[in-house]
Amino acid sequence: MSDFWKELLTHKGNGWWNLPKTSQSEPNPKYEGPIGGPWLTNWWKFLTHSGVDHAGPAFYTVVAIFLAVITLLEVWIYTIKEFGVWLNPILIVLSLFKFIGVVAFFMHLRFDHRYFTLIFSFCMILGVSVFISALLMKSFAKTIQ
Amino acid sequence: MTDIAIEQNHQIENHITSTGLSSRKLLMWTFLGSDVMFFGAFIATYLVYRGKSLVGPYPNEILNIPITSVSTFVLLMSSFAMVLALHYVKEGKKSLGSFWIWSVVVLGVIFLGFQVVEFTEFALHGLTPRTNLFGTTFFILTGLHGGHVTIGVIWLIFMGVAHKKNALRPDNAEDLELAGLYWHFVDIVWIVIFTVIYLISASDGAPVTVPHLGH
Repeated sequence: MSDFWKELLTHKGNGWWNLPKTSQSEPNPKYEGPIGGPWLTNWWKFLTHSGVDHAGPAFYTVVAIFLAVITLLEVWIYTIKEFGVWLNPILIVLSLFKFIGVVAFFMHLRFDHRYFTLIFSFCMILGVSVFISALLMKSFAKTIQ
Repeated sequence: MTDIAIEQNHQIENHITSTGLSSRKLLMWTFLGSDVMFFGAFIATYLVYRGKSLVGPYPNEILNIPITSVSTFVLLMSSFAMVLALHYVKEGKKSLGSFWIWSVVVLGVIFLGFQVVEFTEFALHGLTPRTNLFGTTFFILTGLHGGHVTIGVIWLIFMGVAHKKNALRPDNAEDLELAGLYWHFVDIVWIVIFTVIYLISASDGAPVTVPHLGH
């Protein structure tokens, strides 16, 4: 069993599992911006890496099973009335797992250039801020009424 | 002529940028980021108007969770097929690549079929975008998502044809990767919609107190 997990979680070259190298094991592209010294260069190194390898079919199968199981779990939890006020937070957390699973592995953000993660995360923060602002406005409007 | 076209395509794939990143991929991620805000606004609008419908049908009378769970599963599996399609195209395994690209198309069409059936069913039960606030926000949000899925299916049909004609190869697999990013994004939007609209709001019924509108 330990060999199974070892094979799953470690990079083994071009095997069927073919788990990617981590970002840190890839060379960083050279900083070629107009300004900057060591500080900016370090930041650039942090922000960038050129991990280009993707995982193999077996790894993606594991992720797909994980996503399917969470969907089943969500529907099962939805049918149980005993969760009461905890129902919505549990469903949101489970959908967050699915969201991260797809974005990190199927969209290759985990393996790809960190800059893409930065762009998407920034937009997610903006999007979620708009979302929360709208809901807060709704609750303030209720208070005023 | 074909050689020149292939050479030009190859140059586009391997163009030099100051960041060392593919400009096309950067553009796609920026677009997806903007689409996050687009859908975020519509989901927030749905939640702002949640429970404000004065007339039925209400979510608890009309939403069909088992059917939507199946369509959600279909879309998740299409994402899985997409990632395998990209993997095999990159490896140059033509028949497997083709099989998985067309699997994504078929699963996407099945998902759209579920949506058409659902919309028709709702219309037969008297829920249209003009019926109440639930209908308006529901149809706009899920309709926009369906529009995104349709664009994705059309894009992937082009990819499937390109792969068949050998215009999609391991050296320009980024074309398929861009389509894949779009497709996975459609999937993550549905993950949120399924939770927020179908699971969380499914028990919403008529408002407890209806404001008095008369004189």
